[in-house]
Amino acid sequence: MNKIKSQGSIRFTDANIVYPNGTVGMKDLNLEIKPGEFVVIVGSSGAGKSTLLRAVNGLNRMTSGRIEVDGVAVPQKDGRELRVLRKRIGMIFQDFRLVKRLTVMSNVLIGRLAHVPGWRAMFNLWPAHDKEVAMQALERVGITEKAWVKASQLSGGQQQRVGIARALAQEPAIILADEPVASLDPVTTHQIMQDLVRINRELGITTLVNLHFLDLAKKYGQRIIGLRFGELVYDGSAASVTDDDFRNIYGRDFTEDDVLDEDVVG
Amino acid sequence: MAPTSPHPTRPPPKPARNWPLWGGTIAFLVAMTWWSAHGIGFSLAELFCNAAGGKRLLQESWPPDFGFLPRLIDPFMETIYIAIVGTVVGGILAIPVAILAARNLTLGPIIWFADRNFMNILRTLPDLFWAMLFATAVGFGPVAGALALSVFTIAVISKLWSESLESIDMGMPEAVRACGGTWLQMVQFGAIPQGLQHYVSYALYAFELNVRASMVLGLVGAGGIGMILETQRANFEYERVTMIILAVLVAVLIIEQISESIRKRLA
Repeated sequence: MNKIKSQGSIRFTDANIVYPNGTVGMKDLNLEIKPGEFVVIVGSSGAGKSTLLRAVNGLNRMTSGRIEVDGVAVPQKDGRELRVLRKRIGMIFQDFRLVKRLTVMSNVLIGRLAHVPGWRAMFNLWPAHDKEVAMQALERVGITEKAWVKASQLSGGQQQRVGIARALAQEPAIILADEPVASLDPVTTHQIMQDLVRINRELGITTLVNLHFLDLAKKYGQRIIGLRFGELVYDGSAASVTDDDFRNIYGRDFTEDDVLDEDVVG
Repeated sequence: MAPTSPHPTRPPPKPARNWPLWGGTIAFLVAMTWWSAHGIGFSLAELFCNAAGGKRLLQESWPPDFGFLPRLIDPFMETIYIAIVGTVVGGILAIPVAILAARNLTLGPIIWFADRNFMNILRTLPDLFWAMLFATAVGFGPVAGALALSVFTIAVISKLWSESLESIDMGMPEAVRACGGTWLQMVQFGAIPQGLQHYVSYALYAFELNVRASMVLGLVGAGGIGMILETQRANFEYERVTMIILAVLVAVLIIEQISESIRKRLA
């Protein structure tokens, strides 16, 4: 399983999202992401980072414009087509979003829901193949020994690994990670970021990560996208991004709150 | 902070009590009670005049007829059976009713509205009404009682549970959606695990109510111990009536204690 994926491209064309309260979440976005890229999205809170990620799997609907995944427009209403698209897109959340009272394995199997007949999932009769996929996903993040432990018993870092394993169990072409390290301590943060980078390299899964720490973005990003008030204000390689670029993205001088390791502030 | 106070840390003076409002409320309650008592011909004087009749009834009711106890076992068990069947059937049917009535989980505004109104109708009509209705429909006996309690259970559980479902964290349901899960899977894997404890607690509570209600249902011919109570009362066997009331009291207390201790452990 989990052979290199040849797919996983995303294209935004003149995409706009305005929330019912008038807030602009996305403004005239034109963006192309190639299969297998590791993209870090930065911007201050409210800049539209989550909006961008959640538009890719249709959790946020567009006001106008178009988003395509592998050349197919993201459906803008609930239904079979949208489920078929989401099946191939894994998502990782800041608050992990696990069923705490269930085992790690049960949580990872949720990533297989769209892959098996409905009645099998309903009565917990998972095919051997799907259980194997789930186990291999746990192997990939190195916590197979926790498979039968309740999710509530795990540390934050371990819970996020279960979150990653659930996304991997989908055998996705794309992974969306929405502030995946925001509720973790610095050491665990680096481990989780390394996991995400490694998985991207090993499996070629297109990966979009929202981060609010600049140093993390620079350290782990391959390509950095900067957003400000829903608009694309920076798009370039992580290697060449400068402090001035960051100032422009944030619209202000940055402080030690914007970095994880304080000694990096230059 | 009040700028008029010379001491910035001192709280503002206690506002004066609204005496006209208090006086008005009390006067209103007194007037309402007097008016209502007058309406039904209730008077304390009359109570005292009839005290002799009450005294005779009490004397005839004591001591309880303990010899009657063995004959209570079968109807009492029937009462418990009615309560169990009613709780299980109603408890299962309440699940979809509650989920579709929860604003955050429902399938659409029309279904939500229809379901809410359905629940309101169930709740507005009392259990005795349902018992009479089903006794007419399927004949007198425990089946009518169990059906009535099923409806009553749907009303109780769906109301309580739909409200607690509305307060769950929607993060997990969204995660299931993001994986490509269907609405049913979102409910099963995202919502129900969070609401399960409450559901069990409400089902036990409904069972307590049902045991109590199934005692009374017999009065309208819906089986169980209430039917015996009604027969003995009609035959002026007041010592047996006392026995039945005592037995019911003890049984209800025991069942409530057990149920309550389970619910506390769940919380």
